[in-house]
Amino acid sequence: MCLFMQPNALEFLLKAQADDGSWGYSRAGEGFLEPTAVVLLALRDIPQAAQAVQKAAEWIFNLQNPDGGWGICPQDKESGWQTAWAVYALNLSGLGKEKCDIGIQWLLNIDVMQLNDSDLLAAGQKVAQIDFSVRGWPWLPGESSWVEPTALTLLAIKGSSASAEVASRQSEAVLYLRDRRCDGGGWNIGNPVMFDMRLPARVTPSALALLALAEIAPKEILPRDILALRNEMFQDGGVLALAWGLKALRVLGEDDPEARAALVSAQGSDGSWDGNPYLTAIASIALNGEG
Amino acid sequence: MAAPKISRRAFIRLVMLGGIGAGLAYYHRLTQPLGEVTFTRWMLRGRYQQFAGKKAIVALGESSSYQDDLVKQLSDLFKLGELPDVRGLKVLVKPNMVDKVGQYLTTTAPEVIAALVDVLNELGASQVTVGDGPAFHRDATSIARNIGLDELLRQRGMQFVDLNYDDPQPIPVKDGWISRSDVIWLPKHVVEADLIISVPKMKTHHWAGVSLSLKNLLGLFPGMRYGWPKNTIHFNGITSSILGLYQILPPVVAVVDGIVGMEGDGPLAGTPVQHSVLAVGKDAVAVDVTCASLMGFDMYEVDYLSMAAWAGIGQTRRIETRGIQPEKFRKQYERPPKM
Repeated sequence: MCLFMQPNALEFLLKAQADDGSWGYSRAGEGFLEPTAVVLLALRDIPQAAQAVQKAAEWIFNLQNPDGGWGICPQDKESGWQTAWAVYALNLSGLGKEKCDIGIQWLLNIDVMQLNDSDLLAAGQKVAQIDFSVRGWPWLPGESSWVEPTALTLLAIKGSSASAEVASRQSEAVLYLRDRRCDGGGWNIGNPVMFDMRLPARVTPSALALLALAEIAPKEILPRDILALRNEMFQDGGVLALAWGLKALRVLGEDDPEARAALVSAQGSDGSWDGNPYLTAIASIALNGEG
Repeated sequence: MAAPKISRRAFIRLVMLGGIGAGLAYYHRLTQPLGEVTFTRWMLRGRYQQFAGKKAIVALGESSSYQDDLVKQLSDLFKLGELPDVRGLKVLVKPNMVDKVGQYLTTTAPEVIAALVDVLNELGASQVTVGDGPAFHRDATSIARNIGLDELLRQRGMQFVDLNYDDPQPIPVKDGWISRSDVIWLPKHVVEADLIISVPKMKTHHWAGVSLSLKNLLGLFPGMRYGWPKNTIHFNGITSSILGLYQILPPVVAVVDGIVGMEGDGPLAGTPVQHSVLAVGKDAVAVDVTCASLMGFDMYEVDYLSMAAWAGIGQTRRIETRGIQPEKFRKQYERPPKM
């Protein structure tokens, strides 16, 4: 929830909205689902933004494919990972319940590569030290599971009515996140090891995994996950990393004045972060949301 | 009742017909999943390219340090390699920005990219853009900043473009290389470019054997459509993805940074190799074949080069090297671990 915005950020976002209700990854860029969903989340409780929120929701409604999922933009008829963003944003905004339910069914029914052959499982263990028999969610149907779409989908389906199917997939996805955790805590995009190389945690997958676990299995969060997130967000130093990192830390009841200061100082004179509605929305949520 | 008699001539005809039928059935099976027509066309094109196709030129230059005068070096190699006239063209420079992991030298050196930008501006390109869409990192701009590329571009009044978020558009695939879809989504700057310059770091790669200018093109698949690490490429097959992508792009030329290469566990965790070579050429396939050879790899060890040779995509055999003789640069890179 984002009760108020950084100075000028609201004005920037309102001006950057396209006539059709969408937002892009740059002010003049084409509209895509991920930035539109994230800006919707940032603006959803701001009275001055009510009209913009309604237009954005309509845009997202119209983008839903006949199979119940969402592509990245109106031209994209293949549903994919951004379905989770659509469902998550609409659910939290209390909009389009019926469309969300259909989207959740799409997410639950999506085909995920799962290995059961013992030789292949042993190979996966050897090369990447992961258990390929455990499913999370893929970026696109039929592919392998990855941390970010898994975490996003967990957040999206959390609001759905409890069913055995949802509970079972949630439990499996938590196992998946446990299996993919990096040695030093946190998460890379997928496997934590490649041959002999221990991969470092990355901010976006770590932050989203922590946000998802905080909602459905907080006991799974380890102190080293938070430490890894904090280290990596400063090593990376980008707006995206600082914003996602700060957002996750705040949800976990922590704060980081240094990250907050760095993020505030990175805001441009037009109220945006890098002229990018997506970054501006995440930064606003991180700085001003309730956590 | 006696069995009907068959003449000797009819018997021979029957055997011949049976042989032809069996041959066609075998050929049909051999050519799947491409189909007889495409298979035959590619095979013939491959033979033609290898034995009568236009010769490709690859220019090799020596630079032992990133502090050398790389603008002059690249400028000379452009002339020597007879690269296309870039006057008035929109050029996309595509380095390899795979990820920044600790102190590993994983990316194309920023000094090479900056020098190339200077050369293109000197030669009169109307617009030069530098961008990549790394497979392992959500934010390419942070990699650009952390390796110092951001600053070098800023000094030239430019900004690095994260191709993972660059307003992708669907482009129809050709010849069935991409089996999972009729289109590939490509960044706006790729679609609008008149020329793409692939600028990889000379590296080994645990999936592909070597990572050079063709493999580097996979960074053009936008993450916001395909996710990170663009798993679609793996499911489609790296070789098919590389060659399928290569054939729908605007013209691609190659500038390979082999000043410090990477051997062993590439593309992320390999060991630096002081190689002191820059390779430039109009035919990216020919440049990769040449560079693979300088790394001690036979072309046929690298699936995508071997397939390019068979299907006649680029020149793999009739290659003229100019500048420093290749023998001077031949090394034996440590092989990557096998998947």
